[in-house]
Amino acid sequence: MKILTTVKKVVDVELNMHVKDGAIVEDGLQYVINAWDENAVEASVQLKENNKAETTLVSVGGGDNTDIIRKCYAMGIENGIHIDDPALDKADSSVFAKVLQKVYENGAYDLVITGKQAQDTDSGQTGIMLAEYLGVPCVSNVIAIEVADEQHIKVSRLGDAGTEIVELELPAVVTVSDSINEPRLPQMRGIMMAKKKKIKKMDLAALGTSYDDLGGTGLKSEVIEFMASKTREAGQKFEGDPAEITAQVVGLLANEAKVF
Amino acid sequence: MAKVLIVADIKQGVLKGSTAELSSKAKAIGAETAVVAIGSNIESLIPDLVNAGSDTQYIADDPSLELFSAGPYASCVVDAAKQFGANLIWFGFSESGKAAAPRVAAQLDAACATEITDVTLDGDQIEVVRPAIANKVMQRIKVNTDQLVAVVRAGAFEATEGITGTENVVKLSAPETDLKAVIKELISDASGEIDLADADVVVSVGRGAKDQAGVDLVKELANDLQAGFGASRAMIDGGFMAHNKQVGQTGKIVAPTLYMAIGISGAIQHLAGMNGSKVILAVNKDPEAPIFNVADYGIVGDLFEVVPILREEIKKVRA
Ligand SMILES: Cc1cc2nc3c(=O)[nH]c(=O)nc-3n(C[C@H](O)[C@H](O)[C@H](O)COP(=O)(O)OP(=O)(O)OC[C@H]3O[C@@H](n4cnc5c(N)ncnc54)[C@H](O)[C@@H]3O)c2cc1C
Repeated sequence: MKILTTVKKVVDVELNMHVKDGAIVEDGLQYVINAWDENAVEASVQLKENNKAETTLVSVGGGDNTDIIRKCYAMGIENGIHIDDPALDKADSSVFAKVLQKVYENGAYDLVITGKQAQDTDSGQTGIMLAEYLGVPCVSNVIAIEVADEQHIKVSRLGDAGTEIVELELPAVVTVSDSINEPRLPQMRGIMMAKKKKIKKMDLAALGTSYDDLGGTGLKSEVIEFMASKTREAGQKFEGDPAEITAQVVGLLANEAKVF
Repeated sequence: MAKVLIVADIKQGVLKGSTAELSSKAKAIGAETAVVAIGSNIESLIPDLVNAGSDTQYIADDPSLELFSAGPYASCVVDAAKQFGANLIWFGFSESGKAAAPRVAAQLDAACATEITDVTLDGDQIEVVRPAIANKVMQRIKVNTDQLVAVVRAGAFEATEGITGTENVVKLSAPETDLKAVIKELISDASGEIDLADADVVVSVGRGAKDQAGVDLVKELANDLQAGFGASRAMIDGGFMAHNKQVGQTGKIVAPTLYMAIGISGAIQHLAGMNGSKVILAVNKDPEAPIFNVADYGIVGDLFEVVPILREEIKKVRA
């Protein structure tokens, strides 16, 4: 089985973020691997370990992605492709999905695993759109993957009514939740080996396409402004004798906030 | 005139409140409103669909639609959207909506936006607002096509009181089943419990509760208040709470009148699921816990001590 895993470089959500003149202030930001893609990498590596599989990652955009790709190598991914092109700076989910479609078509993969969303947009569209463009089955928000036979996998999905068990015919796309696994920490040996591994870098032309072909020049929507989120003010905090402060807070909830 | 198609949010045979919220918003922007309902044995919901503010009801009612499957579900929405000539297609915040929206957008070649919190129409120009980067920023998005598929974030729109519609039922033919993604089984969530999304009060328990005894202690507080009982991911990972009880970016997004965070540190992914609540109360023994930065009322203390007192005091004021 050939598995393709997608890995996006995103801004570190744990750091503070500021908005000025409709844009995010770059100063002080750091970039990391999208957390949900780390779960996708872990899921791929586990499939490789428990079954016969070959694992390849693809990262689209992001400039210098050496660090995050090496991290995935150190976790056990075997091959890496980085598609980068300045044209992709403004790309939306649909364009990303079409880039992935090209990569997929060049590689005859059986299974694509993506994170359920990327932390820079929280959109959750790319993997599902990729499946639509490819015309292959797709299950999103997956919390378990099991190989059923040569042609099928069985996945568990967290749905609205409970956990759905779905059998998928390969090739297929799944998008994974962070509940699927706990990504491993790379070990020293893996880190050393990762440094020697090559990354296959391509621009859109090398991939046999162009920004225009991918629908990039006619984006269906575009972000025109970033704004600061409404932040909540810290309210009143009480320390001291538990009985006293708890009674005081309940009084405020009843008389000031009027929730009881 | 703009035409909004709302995908009815049906859970365990019941029409959820988000449908009326979405049609209230549709009416507020002056749009003609239709609803599409998808499921098995759902004819009885037609009066509810009308009362939720729709003027046309597209009904896809077929035994094959009993269990959710994103492919057929999306086909029904596309079918209704084409028949209605919808330029706005809205899903309430749900896992089915998140799974189906990108498919519908790809099939209609429409723009797609998830978790929107606002939408404006200026002539034909559609704009939406949505949070990004774990709610740290908001994005204003300009739509360049005349069709937008969107998932509306929980709590974004309010239902207008006394909203109503007119009955005009259009039956949809059953979609093809997806033979390549076959749902084998549904392990249903426990029924009879209060749905977090509907609850007026939500009490959530975090790792501070340590073990089952701690979870049970906090649950009694939730029971007293007839509140939804949620949790941080730590308690789901720990096996103390079911997946559908997780509040946060990966779980449920809630915006109740009162949210109580008991023994929860306030990680950004948790905050993303509850910081739209009207009033937040936090109990945490660490005075520096980030949850206090968003809480209206904070009690610094050991939850094992505080929760029983909290129950007593609440009983007193409610008596
Ligand atoms: C991609 C991704 C998605 C995620 N999605 C979610 C999500 O949807 N929801 C979610 O909740 N998390 C999510 N997380 C996890 C999140 O980052 C935190 O790890 C998690 O929320 C922590 O849970 P907690 O606050 O219960 O535990 P901790 O962070 O361990 O906090 C426990 C708190 O309890 C307090 N405490 C301890 N003992 C007591 C006591 N006796 N009395 C009072 N207080 C006490 C401590 O001071 C501490 O503040 C996600 C993480 C990632 C990477």
